[in-house]
Amino acid sequence: MAPNRAYCPIFVHCSELQGFGLGFAVAREEDESQDLAWHSVASWTWDAQDETCGICRMAFDGCCPDCKLPGDDCPLIWGSCNHAFHLHCILKWVNSQTSQAHCPMCRREWQFKG
Amino acid sequence: MADSIYSICNLGILDTLSENSIHEIVESYEGFCAANETLLNGAGDLSVGPQLVSNAHSLCKHGLESLLRDHFLGALEKTFEKNGALKFWRHFEDVSIGEEVFYNALEEISLEKQYQEKCLLMLVHALQTYNQRGSHDSDAISVELFAKYQLSVSSVLMATLPRKFPEILNWYFKGRLEELSTIMAGDRPPRDDEDEDDDRDDMELDEKWKVSYRSGQMEIDECYPQGRFFDNSKLVNNIGRVVHDLRSLGFTSMTEDAYASAIFLFLKAKVHDLAGDDYRISVLESIKGWIQAVPLQFLHALLAYLGDSISYESASSGLKSPLAKCPASFYPGIDTPSEGLVRWQLRLEYFAYETLQDLRIAKLFEIIVDYPDSSPAIEDLKQCLEYTGQHSKLVESFISALQYRLLTAGASTNDILHQYVSTIKALRTIDPAGVFLEAVGEPIRDYLRGRKDTIKCIVTMLTDGTGANPNVSGNTGDSLLEELNRDEESQENIAPEDDFHTDDKQAWINASRWEPDPVEADPLKGSRNRRKVDILGMIVGIIGSQDQLVNEYRVMLAEKLLNKSDYDIDSEIRTLELLKIHFGENSMQKCEIMLNDLIGSKRTNTNIKATIAQPSHTDAGSELGDNRVSMDIIDATIISSNFWPPIQEESLIVPGPIDQLLSDYAKRFNEIKTPRKLLWKKNLGTVKLELQFEDREMQFMVAPVHAAIIMQFQDQKSWTSKDLAAAIGVPIDILNRRINFWISKGILSESLGEDTDNHMFTLMEGMIDTGKNTANDGNCEDLIVGDEEGESSVASVEDQLRKEMTVYEKFILGMLTNFGSMALDRIHNTLKMFCIADPTYDKTLQQLQSFLSGLVSEEKLELRDGMYFLKK
Repeated sequence: MAPNRAYCPIFVHCSELQGFGLGFAVAREEDESQDLAWHSVASWTWDAQDETCGICRMAFDGCCPDCKLPGDDCPLIWGSCNHAFHLHCILKWVNSQTSQAHCPMCRREWQFKG
Repeated sequence: MADSIYSICNLGILDTLSENSIHEIVESYEGFCAANETLLNGAGDLSVGPQLVSNAHSLCKHGLESLLRDHFLGALEKTFEKNGALKFWRHFEDVSIGEEVFYNALEEISLEKQYQEKCLLMLVHALQTYNQRGSHDSDAISVELFAKYQLSVSSVLMATLPRKFPEILNWYFKGRLEELSTIMAGDRPPRDDEDEDDDRDDMELDEKWKVSYRSGQMEIDECYPQGRFFDNSKLVNNIGRVVHDLRSLGFTSMTEDAYASAIFLFLKAKVHDLAGDDYRISVLESIKGWIQAVPLQFLHALLAYLGDSISYESASSGLKSPLAKCPASFYPGIDTPSEGLVRWQLRLEYFAYETLQDLRIAKLFEIIVDYPDSSPAIEDLKQCLEYTGQHSKLVESFISALQYRLLTAGASTNDILHQYVSTIKALRTIDPAGVFLEAVGEPIRDYLRGRKDTIKCIVTMLTDGTGANPNVSGNTGDSLLEELNRDEESQENIAPEDDFHTDDKQAWINASRWEPDPVEADPLKGSRNRRKVDILGMIVGIIGSQDQLVNEYRVMLAEKLLNKSDYDIDSEIRTLELLKIHFGENSMQKCEIMLNDLIGSKRTNTNIKATIAQPSHTDAGSELGDNRVSMDIIDATIISSNFWPPIQEESLIVPGPIDQLLSDYAKRFNEIKTPRKLLWKKNLGTVKLELQFEDREMQFMVAPVHAAIIMQFQDQKSWTSKDLAAAIGVPIDILNRRINFWISKGILSESLGEDTDNHMFTLMEGMIDTGKNTANDGNCEDLIVGDEEGESSVASVEDQLRKEMTVYEKFILGMLTNFGSMALDRIHNTLKMFCIADPTYDKTLQQLQSFLSGLVSEEKLELRDGMYFLKK
């Protein structure tokens, strides 16, 4: 007589449970992966300290005014002063400066952070 | 007698009369009167004729011609009244009279009249022979006398006319028409095989010629050189004779009225009969055919018999019947239709069109309900209306039908919308300019605006062909949007409206094609050139702005995308492309990003899973060290949350191994996409799992929270609700709601624990009560958890609105503190006036009202007589 647990009638096909209901698990080993499929949802974030870009005032997790698609197409860039901007925004700023560009937020010299 | 002589002759002449001549006059006069009497009462005995003539001559010699005439006519009239009219009317005293009686009566009176006419002719003859010696115009006398006689006959008859005589006439013609119609119906070969029947027809013709010869009815046969008229020549002959007799009795107009009304009644009955309640076939042609076949033939025969003697003064050649375009085919056997016949045809056709139109208008609602099938009926109606021009009748009747049958609380919004679309489509055929459509659509739009779920239904209908209306068979799977698009493409192909490239020639063609707006058009609404019936535009018009529609679509799309377990979004992409065509790219931008997220997720997902370092191999120290839960079971949809509608977040503790996998996944994401991070929304998504029991397996597609619940039962067969809630990290009330899913599937059972709040859930072993879910056995693939109330993962538009409105709550409360009480529109206006800074007040009156009623139900406000107060 197997221990009581062996009669547990339910078995979700993840094999961390193989401790009981062993017989079933072994029999089904080959297709267990398709028996449980967990489709989850996540949102991504740039994880900047601030909410919005200091130049365009758009959300970091959105995109700069020139872009249509957020994410890879409109990345963020950090300066050595740890201020983040949309790449497109800060490039526009840097290119518009005649001499050495400064961070729009803290007026320190603008250096892209390694 | 002497008086009458005096009155005629001048007294001077009397003196010149000799005794002799007086004697002669008296004698002749007496002789004349006697002869007259015998003649008229003598029943066909004309032997006294010469006596009459000689007496007449001698009287005339004395210049008493007019006396002669008056006396004769007076005698005729009296006799006719006595012998003719009284007898004639006596025939009709019975309540019901047969055809025979009618014929006999007519025959009798006609004979009487003929006899009297013969007598009259005798007098005329006498006068004529006398006048040949004199210098009078003899034709004039006969014309005058006969006219007088005719007048006296008809006046006698009219004066004694019984009231029901017109009815009898009507009845008679109706009966004959029916007879004729049956003959026609029985005789007419179906049109298709007319050619084959030609030979046989010819033979029949010959035979009929003979028949008609034998029956001695040649008089009318000349009128019908060919055709099928012989079939009914006897009938028509009879009718012709009746009409002729009636006419000679002076009943011309009454007869005409009678047969006209009989024909119209008959035609009406025929139209009703043909049109019926079947809208899938066009009946107009068959009605026209029938008009040609029966009433027109009847009339043709009749007019021909009467020698087309009714002269219609105003020629109708200017009025062209729509049928007159190809007269040859429409007048079989008649080379040139007489004017009278053409007039009759126009009248009959107009009447038929009008009758059919009335019939169809009355049933327009039903016709539109089964619109695509009923398009023949719509075509018919269109033609009728083109002819009669009574569009306003249609509008009125249809609007009242709508109000009575559709715009009621019992009708579902979906049905109303479908009817609306069908109405648009159907009326577009009838009236391409959309003038009447506008009038008809207005009540529907007004009504739909008052319904809460209108937008939702519209979006569903637009984007989701299958779900929109399951009752409608046919092209399921095609959304309305695609249909619209197809329509538009085909329309554009036919008539490319390219304003910029029109050369002069094209401009000229356009100009010559111009038609004025219908009279009913509202001049405020612009000309038809600018107005193209645009179904989508009219649907958006219900809501007022397309932004609301787009917003609703976004929420629905989000819901759909978040519940996808694969990344298959082809149909959504197509829908979005179609929407972009109609609403412009900018307004669909966010939706596009959402779809893009899905595409990106698929790529990232594959990338992560391919490159992830399997924790089970590297991290042997973990307590899951040798488990075989691989990354393969995890998939993720990664969204750009800024562009999605607000998402409902609920806390949820997923089972340990899954949680581990998720964090590994997030870590890998962070490695690949530095410095981006993943934030899991663990309550969202779908889980496909399989439960294995001793005797069977069941597959489910569930929400993560359901999966989390059931997985807790793997190592502990019963839980109290408190413990379970703690284990999966959701509030108890939510747990109680969600766990119902498993209870309803018969997998868990609920029992009251020692504590009333603390229920006990136990795993059912062996599925004793299979009765509960036998239907679900085996094929559980399609078991997707339906969204029970309030379970959607995306905040609905209403929720969003409520959230937005809360900003104004303190404004409103402040206002009411200052003013004491305010009406709805005053609050609305004040908000509009003062809330111009961020956030701008841009809500509608209805939105404000629903928000305020929310505040009332929260007992923050009070509503009395349309005024809002602060609740004290």
